[in-house]
Amino acid sequence: MNKNKIYPWYFMAGALVLYFVLFFLPGLIGVGYSFTNWSAYSTELRFVGLDNFRTVFSADENYTKIISNTLVFTFVTTIIKNALGLLLAILLTKSVRFLNLHRGIVFMPSVLSTLIIGMLFKSILDAKSGLLNTFLRSCGLGFLAQKWLVSTEFAFGSVMAVDIWRGVGYIMTIMIAGILSISTDYYEAAEIDGAGSFARFRYITFPLILPTLATTTVLNIIYGLKVFDMVYALTNGGPGKATTEVLYTAVFKKFGTGQYAVGTALSSVMFLIMLFVGYFMIRLMTRNEVIE
Amino acid sequence: MLNKHEKLMKALAVSVLAGSMAAALSFTAAADEDVTITYMASQDWVQDAEMELGEKFTEETGIKVDYQIVPSDQYESLLMTKLNTGECTDLFGGQSSQFSIVNQFHVEENAVDLTDEEWAENVEPAAAFELSVDGKLYGQPVQDVSAVWAVAYNRQIFEDLGLEIPTDYASFCDVCDKLLEADIIPVYECVSDGWHHVCWTEKAIAATEADPEYPDKLNKNEATFAGNEQLITMFTELKEMVDKGYFGDNYMSNQYADAPAAIASGEYAMVLYNQGLGVEVNAVDPDFPVDNIGYFVSPLCDNQSLNVNYCGPSRFIYSGSANIDAAKKYLAYMASDESLAYMTENVGKFNQLPYLNAPSAYSDVIQEFYDRYPNKVAVFQASVKYYNPAWMDIGADMSAMFLDEMTPEEVLEDIDKLRAEQAAAASDECWN
Repeated sequence: MNKNKIYPWYFMAGALVLYFVLFFLPGLIGVGYSFTNWSAYSTELRFVGLDNFRTVFSADENYTKIISNTLVFTFVTTIIKNALGLLLAILLTKSVRFLNLHRGIVFMPSVLSTLIIGMLFKSILDAKSGLLNTFLRSCGLGFLAQKWLVSTEFAFGSVMAVDIWRGVGYIMTIMIAGILSISTDYYEAAEIDGAGSFARFRYITFPLILPTLATTTVLNIIYGLKVFDMVYALTNGGPGKATTEVLYTAVFKKFGTGQYAVGTALSSVMFLIMLFVGYFMIRLMTRNEVIE
Repeated sequence: MLNKHEKLMKALAVSVLAGSMAAALSFTAAADEDVTITYMASQDWVQDAEMELGEKFTEETGIKVDYQIVPSDQYESLLMTKLNTGECTDLFGGQSSQFSIVNQFHVEENAVDLTDEEWAENVEPAAAFELSVDGKLYGQPVQDVSAVWAVAYNRQIFEDLGLEIPTDYASFCDVCDKLLEADIIPVYECVSDGWHHVCWTEKAIAATEADPEYPDKLNKNEATFAGNEQLITMFTELKEMVDKGYFGDNYMSNQYADAPAAIASGEYAMVLYNQGLGVEVNAVDPDFPVDNIGYFVSPLCDNQSLNVNYCGPSRFIYSGSANIDAAKKYLAYMASDESLAYMTENVGKFNQLPYLNAPSAYSDVIQEFYDRYPNKVAVFQASVKYYNPAWMDIGADMSAMFLDEMTPEEVLEDIDKLRAEQAAAASDECWN
């Protein structure tokens, strides 16, 4: 960046004030409330120090499981969405008949309401009369039929699978844009040199799509840490105590029961996790940027 | 702001109606009102018959009613979030309870005082008590609270297999075992709704019978759920019912709304239900006689008393609503003689709505059931503080118990913890 072209600081003052008042300040106040006994049951507000955070990390509570569920959800869905998205993007940048139709079909779930998808899959994954188990039984694969959403073994995996199905088309679309921006000259030169498909992917596509991959990773991680609607619609955190509970459904429930302070403490923990992850993500995304 | 013409028309309409039938209610006065009131309620709290009455109400008053029905496992969180953020609908549904309407709903702040409404004096005193604070009525009962959660059974199946109404837990297990032998799933249970399986805990009245002071001790924080012999037995027996397969394989994903169809199919023989299942099963299968459904009290803890509860789903007007008058007209319409008769006639489980002007529709089978259990004990929902607000959490604990994630003792300890959390948040002096 040319320092001579830097605009005066007050050009961004308006945006900064708006950001400070509408985003930063409420966040700061929220963190402040996590050190109080704020609740719907009493008008009295008292400083309680780290009590709410002790509750959050107490062994008697489920919050550590909830935090770990959120991180597992983020990790697994990010990896699989990226891998499947990349695979589909590679397939759908080839000369395939009805290319746009295929792309449209894969992308379509991304534009559907998550709540509607949740309700549809609640029906599809019903253990007794759901489409999936009925299909498995009709094919003689009844032994594969499971209690997808109501057993501790399968519920979390099912929720993640539905979310991957919903989100992979979006990631694929970004990847397609990334792949199409790679000059065909590289591929032609590689073909002349006798490079096969895998070698072309390994030495041309993959290195040149890494910046796109970094972007999709950031998008997936932010989405994963903030996931709410999919879990809410499919299992509402169940079955049992917290099989599929994630941070935002727990915060929602805490606010629902009027325990605001514990809710804000959970949000603050979430904020710290996102700050930590965000720092490394920004470093990852800007490491190849050249400052003139 | 109404213009002169509208004011004139409105006054004219009022005069005409005032001069006509005395029974004509005031809501008809504003037939040209262009108002939509929103009413949020949990699944199954708004019956089809109520929506039909809502359409008639709109025809007569011009006030439209937008029913927002929320899945029952999500309702409480959503309602409390809306109340706590000051963004609630004009009308909201909530469970009545002398304790939770104060501690949970804060009706003195969040709901409109309905004491002076014409219909208020018709609400049965026991039901009104659960909806009142300091003598002021804040809600309107929706359902028949004379009905109790009891085991509804297919009488034909029982007769065919030579089964008798069980009188204790052991005989109930015998019945279930014989049903299993006949390839019939004994009990239809639906955990996915989050609340229905908690209704089995109404047999906590066994603890009240063992010590009549127990609810008071709980309210004064002088006793705990943990360690109570009857409650441990109750949860242990429930878990045993799951383990023995009495609920079948699909109890975790079954839904309450499908219970009548499940009983009509003959696949299941019993379900914990309120009185009126016969009519609902008959609606699903017209060949299934209404009186083919009988009832007996849940035999957990060998208890043979009737678990009575004057608490039930109720309508409240949100104090922050911009349409309070229109909402009041809706409540007046729903409490009219005609509406109560229509609801009783068209909703199978409504036999005696808690209004002095509501008709009674008990069948012989239901009357015989009530007569069989003369001893009545109030359930914890009505008698114990901070129990009703924890209902869905207790439901989550119980499903964890069914899945072997918690023991009955741990469930009871967690109920104590849930109550303590709410008591502490409410600065209840008994917990400080």
